[in-house]
Amino acid sequence: MATRHTTAAPPVKEGGAAPGRPPAAPTEAEQRRRNRLSRRWQRDMRWSPYAFVSPFFLLFLAFGLFPLIYTGWASLHQVEMTAPTDMTWVGMRNYTRIFDDDFFWNAARNTLTIGIISTVPQLLMAMGLAHILNYKLRASTFYRVAMLAPYATSIAAASLVFVLLFGRDYGMINWALHFVGIDAVDWQNDKWPSQIAVSSIVIWRWTGYNALIYLAAMQAIPQDLYESAALDGASRWRQFLHVTLPSLRPTILFTVVVSTIGASQVFGEPLLFDANKGASGGAEHQFQTLGLYLYEQGWVNQHLGRASAIAWTMFLILIVVGIVNYVISRRLRASS
Amino acid sequence: MRTAKPEDAVPTARKTRRPKSAQAGGHMHGGPIAYIILAVFTIVSLFPLVWTAIAASRDNQRLAQNPPPFVFGSNLFHNLDVAWNDANLGKAFVNTTIVAGTSAATIVFLSTIAGFAFAKLRFRGRGALMLIVIGTMMVPPQLSIIPLYMMVAKLEWTDQLQAVILPSLVSAFGVFFMRQYLIQALPDEIIEAARVDGASSWRVVWHVVFPAARPAMAVLGMLMFVQTWNDFLWPFLVLSQTGNPTVQVAVAGLGRGYTPDQSLIMAGALLGTLPLLAVFAIFGKQIVGGIMQGAVKG
Amino acid sequence: MRARTRTARRAVVLAAVASLGAGLLAGCADDGGDDKASDGSSSGGGKGKTTITLGLFGTFGFKEAGLYAEYEKLHPDIKIAENVTERNENYYPALVNHLTTNSGLQDIQAVEVGNIAEVVATQASKLEDLSKTAGVKKDDWLDWKWAQGTTKDNQTIALGTDVGPMAICYRKDLFQQAGLPTDRAAVAKLWTGDWNKFVSVGEQYKKKAPKGTTFMDSPGGLINAILSSEKEKFYDASGEVIYKKNPAVKAAFDLTAKAATEGLVGAQTQFQPAWDTTIANTKFAAMACPPWMLGYIKGKSKPDAAGKWDVAVAPKSGNWGGSFLSVPKSGKHVKEAAALAAWLTAPAQQAKLFSVQGSFPSAPGTYTEAAVTSAKNEMTGDAPIGTIFAEAAKSSPVQVIGPKDQIIQQGLTDNGVILVTKGKSAAEAWTTATKTIDNNLDK
Repeated sequence: MATRHTTAAPPVKEGGAAPGRPPAAPTEAEQRRRNRLSRRWQRDMRWSPYAFVSPFFLLFLAFGLFPLIYTGWASLHQVEMTAPTDMTWVGMRNYTRIFDDDFFWNAARNTLTIGIISTVPQLLMAMGLAHILNYKLRASTFYRVAMLAPYATSIAAASLVFVLLFGRDYGMINWALHFVGIDAVDWQNDKWPSQIAVSSIVIWRWTGYNALIYLAAMQAIPQDLYESAALDGASRWRQFLHVTLPSLRPTILFTVVVSTIGASQVFGEPLLFDANKGASGGAEHQFQTLGLYLYEQGWVNQHLGRASAIAWTMFLILIVVGIVNYVISRRLRASS
Repeated sequence: MRTAKPEDAVPTARKTRRPKSAQAGGHMHGGPIAYIILAVFTIVSLFPLVWTAIAASRDNQRLAQNPPPFVFGSNLFHNLDVAWNDANLGKAFVNTTIVAGTSAATIVFLSTIAGFAFAKLRFRGRGALMLIVIGTMMVPPQLSIIPLYMMVAKLEWTDQLQAVILPSLVSAFGVFFMRQYLIQALPDEIIEAARVDGASSWRVVWHVVFPAARPAMAVLGMLMFVQTWNDFLWPFLVLSQTGNPTVQVAVAGLGRGYTPDQSLIMAGALLGTLPLLAVFAIFGKQIVGGIMQGAVKG
Repeated sequence: MRARTRTARRAVVLAAVASLGAGLLAGCADDGGDDKASDGSSSGGGKGKTTITLGLFGTFGFKEAGLYAEYEKLHPDIKIAENVTERNENYYPALVNHLTTNSGLQDIQAVEVGNIAEVVATQASKLEDLSKTAGVKKDDWLDWKWAQGTTKDNQTIALGTDVGPMAICYRKDLFQQAGLPTDRAAVAKLWTGDWNKFVSVGEQYKKKAPKGTTFMDSPGGLINAILSSEKEKFYDASGEVIYKKNPAVKAAFDLTAKAATEGLVGAQTQFQPAWDTTIANTKFAAMACPPWMLGYIKGKSKPDAAGKWDVAVAPKSGNWGGSFLSVPKSGKHVKEAAALAAWLTAPAQQAKLFSVQGSFPSAPGTYTEAAVTSAKNEMTGDAPIGTIFAEAAKSSPVQVIGPKDQIIQQGLTDNGVILVTKGKSAAEAWTTATKTIDNNLDK
């Protein structure tokens, strides 16, 4: 591309809201030019950033902030979907009741475990795949495209197929398992199998995509780093540990941060995995996530006030998690 | 409102000293084990899609047998035909293309200029505003649908495509994505050089930022296109099948009647996915290349 | 570099403008379309046809029965279009949302019996009183069906379509192998008047049950059948939630749990794909079955199952399912829509729907018509299903229904008795179910 450049940019700070660098100090020639600048130019410098960010924020004000404030207001009321304007003030009750709400905490635990089951193997597999794809291979494009194909599938379509594949009596997975001597697993009704099954939908859709991201990052690692490691007598495994992984750290941290946000909102897969039980996430709520519980309270049970409080609580938990994440990543960076 | 999907791409920060020739590990040829692992992953990736088509080519009775069907039956075209005619899919495809195309293009455009401002320009309140952007990503999307619907109803937008398009434009993820990409991909020196030439900020955006951001814009565009294409909950609420359905809304009516026909539902799922799969199959190389380029800046 | 940048710029601009333009144009075009439609109607009887839209879920079959075509023939200026959602779980919350905001509504909206009490209680002001529509006669409907769509101040905001009088469908071949009678009168006699007897028959069946089969399909099917035959289940007449203290509910739960503990019911949830396969593969001998279930059985069975079923009178009569049509006041064609709703629910059309779709009429006048009395079903051979279901419809109790019936029923089934098939005790299952329900009801 025309504007490609080879000048070195300093390492970028990773983590959510890392501030950009100050611009380079102006040269003298520049200074002279700057002195000639009109007031208009200064206005441009001053206001154009706001012009650039304002479309997003205008849209956000209209379509993002209003719902947020509305749910915030609704969360302080008892209000039903059958009459959304008919509100009864209850103060913080919708929040305080969450402390005793076993279903909420069950959903929180499930969100955490499904988040771990779906994210950790997915990113590890993606890393391994990227490593393999980084070899010289025949038909390498074919593998890459094939692994990206699940990504084009909607959550709904993917969940529909997986429900059939995970069927207890006539599903292909149990049929295959019985050849290795494993009895039929009840993928919908047993706790861990159901969480694994739900997570597998997430894993299936996203592993290939993440593998490509890691692969791209791996390809950007300078070869001389490996060469000097090899000179020091490092095995390939040690090269992976001491060269590849550190170089990928920013990428990994980002996938982890974004995955955390995404995993906290997992919703469509568990909803559709047992659609006949509505949004309860299984008979014993064994795979009901927070996103699903919020949906059940607001959309199925029609308790807008309670659902809004759950939404805000989720939001606040995430912000806390985000801050912790940020602090940890800063520490990690500082220590290395 | 959009929020990030779990594993959506993030532009990756990395060293930019990458020599043009070398690729780490790329000098090694893959051994048989590498091919075996790749074969397994390829099969696992493609099998559910193929099996969707197999299920769509069968009927309810065959799906209830052990072992499950492995090869195509004779019902595929019949089921596809019924699904197509039942679900008003012609109009749905046009609508979905408009919705997904408009959303993706607009998000890419708005995210790039906003991302550029956050990445490279200094202004008061930048940190705070960026925090708001990131906070926006954390809002659970399920609940905003009710207040949003109240708003759309007030505006009398129900059953019109802008009811789906406009709320989908709030993509905090897009801004975040472009910011992270531009921080590393766009050296300050180039911006400074353009400034020295007397370029206004808009000219900088047109002549420097957009060219530099193109790979990431392509990736973001594809991500958003796929996401909008597959969206169900919100379009289902605001659009109707007889009015302006998207594909997912149109397909939602399949399998009605007292006997939901599983193979027909699978045919609908297949039809809804096929256009994207076709695009992936035809432009696979470019898409993969785009993702790799958009994810890494050399 | 310059050239490339410019090309890039142009491409981006073009893309952005083109797509934005396309979006706006699309928006405008839609507006235009809508306007035209409403103009056509307001000008009244001119050239344009009036399009009436119906919002339906799953199970109606008006189109399949040719009723739209017939109506369009009778009224050449009317065109009918339907929006069908497969699942009521998706359809109903959207309907409530549309009603409360008075937007996005179709000219006619269907309501399921599980939701009708809530719609009548909370949304009546948004819906037309259809009792005054020409051709609507209260006496055409079963009293309780009419009452379910009528508010306290006597506004009938929903007209009944079908009802689901319940009988027991059973496999003759399996009954025979298990040493039970196969004649439908003799079978009915085994359990007349008492669901406990029904479960006892299941115990008999189990002693000689053909391998791999259970007596009944699912715990949900059994508890639903028992509850459907109760006069009061979850609410009392004053509208108070009584499901926990109603002995009938606890008895139904315990009886079902007992059947589940003894392995008399399959470990299935109804209408899941896995349950469908148990029909195809003949994994159970009996199920509670309203007329519409016969169509379901047919759709899920292998061809050789035809004629192997029979229908016997249930221990107690009850109703399972059925729907209503309502007309939102905010529609553009309220009058025409009301006329269509009245026509679709009139006895003649209900009878036609029964012969084609198996939706049983809520118009008792049709129960003596040949279309009903002589009805036969492929799956059940020569069984006089019309007579059996008509009898069940007339002897069903007038049940008290409440706004959250669906949530309570779902809790008892999907978070309750199903757990017993997974090895939980009845008490544990009851605790889980009631805890879930109470949480779901708590505003």
